Amino acid sequence: MILEDLLIFGSVMIVAWFLFTYNWPRMLLYVYKRAILVKGFGEGPVPINTLYTIPQKLFADPIAWQSGPGSNSVTAGMNRDTLITIGWLDLKKGPQALHVPDMNGRYYSVQFTNPSNNTVFAYVGKRTTGTEVGEYLITGPHWKGQVPSDMKQVSSPKNSVLVIGRVLVENDSDLPTSHHLTEQIRLTPLHQKGSL
Amino acid sequence: MNSRTFYAILTVLIIVAFGVVIINSFVLNPTSRNVRNDVIQGFLLGFGLSFVTAQIYARIKTSKVNGWTTMFGCGEPSNGFLFRAACAQVFLGPINISKESMYWTRDADGTGYLLSGKHDYVMHFPAGQLPPNNAFWSLTMGDAHNHFVTNPIKRYCVSDRSGLVPNPDGSVDIYIQNATPTGHESNWLPVPSGNFKLWLRVYMPGQTILNGEYQVPPVVKVS
Repeated sequence: MILEDLLIFGSVMIVAWFLFTYNWPRMLLYVYKRAILVKGFGEGPVPINTLYTIPQKLFADPIAWQSGPGSNSVTAGMNRDTLITIGWLDLKKGPQALHVPDMNGRYYSVQFTNPSNNTVFAYVGKRTTGTEVGEYLITGPHWKGQVPSDMKQVSSPKNSVLVIGRVLVENDSDLPTSHHLTEQIRLTPLHQKGSL
Repeated sequence: MNSRTFYAILTVLIIVAFGVVIINSFVLNPTSRNVRNDVIQGFLLGFGLSFVTAQIYARIKTSKVNGWTTMFGCGEPSNGFLFRAACAQVFLGPINISKESMYWTRDADGTGYLLSGKHDYVMHFPAGQLPPNNAFWSLTMGDAHNHFVTNPIKRYCVSDRSGLVPNPDGSVDIYIQNATPTGHESNWLPVPSGNFKLWLRVYMPGQTILNGEYQVPPVVKVS
């Protein structure tokens, strides 16, 4: 029966088309998830809910950087402008507190990407929040609690979040300063906040 | 009807249609022929079509100016699933939204030939026409596989911070070539002898970029 063949073939094709198209961004970011949590960037896997900052020496010598593991997935294309700090969040066990230092006018941004569809739901950074020191609380979709008065809330639509921080490097001599600032972009679980 | 309900209804319809066909073929009217072939072929073709539709959609959404291509509006949570797939194919990563940063790229010279270190190129920014921004801009070069290429002056990009020297009339020329441009070393972007790609980044782009008024200058081959 030709009709039956066509029906099975056609319906499987349409379902496959839709599922692949719909999940393309998710599949792409799954590669990042593996790169961060399983492979790491040359110094072992990056634990969940922590940020990993690209070492100075790798930024200073991009030829060595690109031969290292995980290098290409960190930046879309090649980047000589910003130091990058990257991490994968799981907010199931509670919110994460993000600390950003005083950047003193320097360009920086912390991008919060929803890994299920590769869209950015929030930014902390020069364009959106300014360059002063700040504390932000990244909360999952089911969290119900009181945001501490000294923190601003960043609500995530999912428990998984891909976080990418970028801090401008003015020039080679500025690299240590920029790196020091980038390393001060830090995550801590909310309940540990007071004891640290 | 918002897009979320549309997708939900579409998904349900597809699953129902799929289920009806499967139940009919496997349970109600089991036949002796091999149904697996239909399923495998449908799955593979669906995958192929998914890739192709996203590519076509990306082509439609791509803005091309003077040989530079970019896409506006990626990364916004309100984007539909086709656009999200297209963005994921063009920018292989968690991209910024346009307001945060714009990326242009090119691997051809605008006349249909690939950019190659066998030729010399000049990118000419007229006076006051450097990319408007509130953060920084940069022009970065990589080989055909998006890798940095070693060069004698260890320069991999030129930018608002790299000490570009303007011409007397205020315009800025960037010399994109393999050999040192004598007298213009400060404005030299060294390229490999083979094919290469260029990336132009503008972070916190100005209003004229976001509304499409600003035109990135062409990369012109010097004969």
